[in-house]
Amino acid sequence: MKKRPKRNRKGSLLISIILVFCILGAVVFSVARKTSAEMSSSAINNLSDSLGLVKGTIEAILVKEAQFQKLIAQEIAISKDPYEFIQFYDENQTIAKISLILEGETKGISSSGKTFSEDALDFSTGKKIGDLSLTQSYLNDMGTWAYTMKCPVMKNDKEIAVLYIEYTFDSLEASFPDNFYDGSAMLYIMDSKSERLVLKPTGMGERDAGHLNLADFYRANNIMDETLQAKVAETVHAGHNIMFYHDIRNKNSLIYMWSVNDGAFYLIGYVPIEAIQQEGQSVNQNILIVVIVMLIAFFLCCILYYFNQKQQQTIRKEREAEREIHNKQLAEALQAAQIASNSKTTFLSNMSHDIRTPMNAILGFTTLLSKDADNPLKVREYTKKITSSGQHLLSLINDVLDVSKIESGKMVLTTQEFTLNDLVSSVDAIIRPMAREKAQNFYVTVTDITHEYLIGDETRINQVLINLLSNSVKYTPANGNIWFRIIGQKQHSAQYEHIQIEVEDDGYGMTPEFLETIFDAFTRAENSTTNKIQGTGLGMAITKNIVELMGGTIDVFSEVNKGSLFRVDLELLIPSEQSDRQFWKDSGITRILVVDDNIEICKNIQTLMKDTGISVDIASSGQEALCMAQHACDNESGYQAVLLDITMKDTDEAETVKKLQEIIADTIPILFLTDCDGDDMHTETLFTENVGFLAKPFFVSAFKEALLNMRLMQDKDKPESESKGDAIISGLHFLVVEDNDINAEILSELLDIEGATCEIAENGQLALERFERASIGEFDAILMDVQMPVMNGYEASKKIRLLDRPDAKNMPIIAMTANAFAEDVKDALNAGMNAHVAKPIDMSLLKKTIHQYVS
Amino acid sequence: MKKKNLNKLSAVCIIGIIILTFTACSSKTNINENLVSNDGDDKKIINLFGPMEKSKPNVNNIARTAFDLTVEMAEEDLDLTVRYRTYTAENYQEKTYDEVTLDRVRNNMDDLYLLNPDTIQTLGSEDKLLDLSVLESAKNLRDVIKTANTVNGKLVAIPQEVVAHGLFLNKDMFDEYNLELPNTPEEFMECCKIFKENGIETPIGANRWWLENFVFAQAYADLYNGDDTEALIEALNKGEAKYSDYMRPGFEYLKELIDKGYIDAETAYTYEAIEEEGADFLAQKTPIVMAYWAAANSDTAYGNPDFNLQVIGFPSKLGPMPVVSMTGYAIGSEAEHLDDTLAVLDTILSDEALQLYAETNKVISPSKNVEVECIDALKPLNDRINDNVYVLGSNAGMNVEQWGNTCLIVRDLLNGATVDECMEAFDKLQEEALSK
Repeated sequence: MKKRPKRNRKGSLLISIILVFCILGAVVFSVARKTSAEMSSSAINNLSDSLGLVKGTIEAILVKEAQFQKLIAQEIAISKDPYEFIQFYDENQTIAKISLILEGETKGISSSGKTFSEDALDFSTGKKIGDLSLTQSYLNDMGTWAYTMKCPVMKNDKEIAVLYIEYTFDSLEASFPDNFYDGSAMLYIMDSKSERLVLKPTGMGERDAGHLNLADFYRANNIMDETLQAKVAETVHAGHNIMFYHDIRNKNSLIYMWSVNDGAFYLIGYVPIEAIQQEGQSVNQNILIVVIVMLIAFFLCCILYYFNQKQQQTIRKEREAEREIHNKQLAEALQAAQIASNSKTTFLSNMSHDIRTPMNAILGFTTLLSKDADNPLKVREYTKKITSSGQHLLSLINDVLDVSKIESGKMVLTTQEFTLNDLVSSVDAIIRPMAREKAQNFYVTVTDITHEYLIGDETRINQVLINLLSNSVKYTPANGNIWFRIIGQKQHSAQYEHIQIEVEDDGYGMTPEFLETIFDAFTRAENSTTNKIQGTGLGMAITKNIVELMGGTIDVFSEVNKGSLFRVDLELLIPSEQSDRQFWKDSGITRILVVDDNIEICKNIQTLMKDTGISVDIASSGQEALCMAQHACDNESGYQAVLLDITMKDTDEAETVKKLQEIIADTIPILFLTDCDGDDMHTETLFTENVGFLAKPFFVSAFKEALLNMRLMQDKDKPESESKGDAIISGLHFLVVEDNDINAEILSELLDIEGATCEIAENGQLALERFERASIGEFDAILMDVQMPVMNGYEASKKIRLLDRPDAKNMPIIAMTANAFAEDVKDALNAGMNAHVAKPIDMSLLKKTIHQYVS
Repeated sequence: MKKKNLNKLSAVCIIGIIILTFTACSSKTNINENLVSNDGDDKKIINLFGPMEKSKPNVNNIARTAFDLTVEMAEEDLDLTVRYRTYTAENYQEKTYDEVTLDRVRNNMDDLYLLNPDTIQTLGSEDKLLDLSVLESAKNLRDVIKTANTVNGKLVAIPQEVVAHGLFLNKDMFDEYNLELPNTPEEFMECCKIFKENGIETPIGANRWWLENFVFAQAYADLYNGDDTEALIEALNKGEAKYSDYMRPGFEYLKELIDKGYIDAETAYTYEAIEEEGADFLAQKTPIVMAYWAAANSDTAYGNPDFNLQVIGFPSKLGPMPVVSMTGYAIGSEAEHLDDTLAVLDTILSDEALQLYAETNKVISPSKNVEVECIDALKPLNDRINDNVYVLGSNAGMNVEQWGNTCLIVRDLLNGATVDECMEAFDKLQEEALSK
């Protein structure tokens, strides 16, 4: 079923409400009108009744006066002297005068004693009260309006006189109601014939009291409609009552004229409609008040309902929004979980593949090894490949463990002083062969570095650089280029060296989509080309986490088929003592000459040598170098060393060296600056005494080392790298503490190969006991595993150090453990061990370490 | 928790409102309660008789308002009701207000009366009026008031305002014909001539009551503005001087105005004050009428005209001369509610009441303690009175009543009598007075 639009529903509701109100309004209006009409009718009836009552009272008074007059006439009839009878009467407010005219006479006498004549009276109206004739109203001698009735005095059925009694209208005032309609209604008595107002309202402020007659009443009240006046005149003439509406002093009023005594007099006046309809108006007002109150209450309820609904709607909306956000978060979480799950599944799949591949190689080659054991060439080849596969497997395991560490927040940095030279050298040593293998060009530049010695976690920085560079190697095709740059930045603080490391290549590049997830774990760029490339997909995640752990930043810029640029910003603490000034002082070197046509390199060297106190002169060509050397010699301020770029254009290095040595003493070392190790140099002529090689980029420490090597060469005059390890461990006797028989055997065999011997202890306790029993000098060092039953390596080391033996404190203890993290190294050192070598055993590293601690 | 409390509070409020509503609507009748109000039964009343101008539609009579305000003050102070009765003649053939007043006072119809000067003198002479010098408020009266209203040594009437009569002029019409406001009889005559020549048929709107002011202005200008006023009046009272000698110039002047058609004698004889001639004046058909001070303030008379109104004195050889006549309130000597009436009169004549009256009507107060500013139109008249330049239209100290008698004799003049005949009438009155 189709849902009706909300707006239509609201419109219908509004129309319904308006309809209900219209009906309610119509009902209230009709009720009010009906009430008003009924009450108006009732009010007019009440007014009629009141006027009727006044009229009745006046007529009753008139009738009583007539009856009274007849009684007086009867009394006069039986009196001896009628004139004497009437003269006893005293005037009062009701009866002003009694007069009598005897039959047959034209003049009589009044109660006042004055002569009386009927001539002054007007009986022409023909009006009667009962059967007594009534005069027209007139102003009497008392200055008040009056009327006279005449009554025949009968004696023995014979009229003997006529009795005239004058009555004042003032006496009729008592018949008027007090405060007629609260004083708002007016009442007059009008003489019908003369239309004079003979009795007017009394009281303060009665403007109406000034009206003279009916015409004046009309004029003063602005009743000037001639038709109306004519109709009134007609009605008055007929002696009927009349009532009509007219505005008096801007108020709608009822004007009434009530006939008294068959039209002899008229009660006239007016009353404002509002005065007679006061009750009706009051009822209507009350109805209106109730309706208004109900409407206000209704609208208040509507407003309250509206606000309530609005509030509810707001709450509902907020809840919906909250729910939506929640759902979104849930969806995102689900998606993230799914992605993570997928990633982990992919990762596991990759790992399975990646682990199985080298494992397959190891196992395959071991099979082949057992088959071709008699063929030394094959054995060497297989073992070489087994070693390679094993190392790859090891790197996989290391990466996985690193990620695990990072994710669990347990990664700790081990900071110590290092030189950029070592860093660059070690990276170069690893990457350059890899690049060379893929026929790639690998460029290393170091610029604007002011401090070579820095404090930081060299291992982790190394890891970052290896990760970035090995990726570049991986994802750059043959003949591609890879740039590794270390650029000194403006220092934010004098205590920190701000360096920027850039790794750039012109390889495959990455898509924008991949760039978004490049630093997520378990992701790996995949395409038809890179699918062949091994990797865990963890390298970049580890890299980013390490950089951030160091307080640095890493950014990546890449375009497909154009290459990638990784930029790492790091701030590393500068050690308080930067360079060994004493060494340079002892060496007697105060001034050197740098010869290079690349002025940037020269400037870098100057910058780096600044802290050593050595003066660095620059020559941009061989010729200039010779001139400067000559000039220096002439001034007896010769150079104590010369750095000469081997790749200068227009310069014959051999010739230059020769000429230099003619100018300066041939004992002065001359070092060729090479883009790579001196191995690549085939110019035999360059290998002369006091001539050596220094790989670019230039570092003070490398310079120092090169000078030391040259001196060593001069002292011993034999190759350095040969038989160094053999000399170290051959003939030494070790206590090997290892619970794993295979590992113990491997180690035993390896040591045996190196000409050393060992004794195996299966756990820490046994090792401790064995060392206690051993004679002084029996063991040259202890190679200690860490995780062992009964007593672990740390505990055993601590206890050995506590033994009361003269060699207990000095006995070299080297940890050899699969616990290969930095914190493991720290723990080992804390337990009193001298060094840490991770499993699987790298014999060259082990030999180097043993050589370091066993004198 | 808060919501629950709010609900409870709302419920309590609604119940409270319902209870209050029902309580307000309920009407419990006490069966022992007398439902009739008898308050009005014992209310004291006094009866007042006074004149009243005809009412106009939708207009309030300020003169009445001022008087009513003082009466209201008395009603409140004394807790009584003043009943007001009036009489106005429908035409000149009917009894005049003064005649009716005489009848009513003589028949003791009312308690308190507002009387004209001649009636005051007549009724005072008949001893029908109470001596009002007993009133506390009488002590504040100006001497001229006391003098003018003292008959046979009794202060028989006291007014609420000093009624000064003057000429009401349409200054715009005077300006239209480049006429200066007249000071002397000759200048006035000249103005009338110019108006007449310019097509204004009857320059002076007159009624049957107030033309006598022309006579008084010329007759008594010297008498009242000299140093020997009392001696001159004494000479008149003794018969050593004749009233007719004083009156003649004024009558002759009136006669000339009539003969030259500046006054229409026929209509003037029938016109009631203001009612007829006032319409033409307000319609700017007539440039000159005569009236009393308060008419300039009253919407029912000449208040708020559509032209520049100026009120000056009547022409005399001493310049514009205000004519001061004394209407006043009097109490019948046998008044039914004597004490209450005295109390009412004392209240409405108190300084407080007269201040209210004078401020409302902008008139000259009889109390020496009350002074108010007058409107601009009345300033010329007011200035003359303030300079003590005026004549009295009535003086109880003269043995011949002036205001009423002169009015009647002027009517004779209007009716065709000669000036000599009019003077004879004065002589006759003087003889009658001397013979008493």
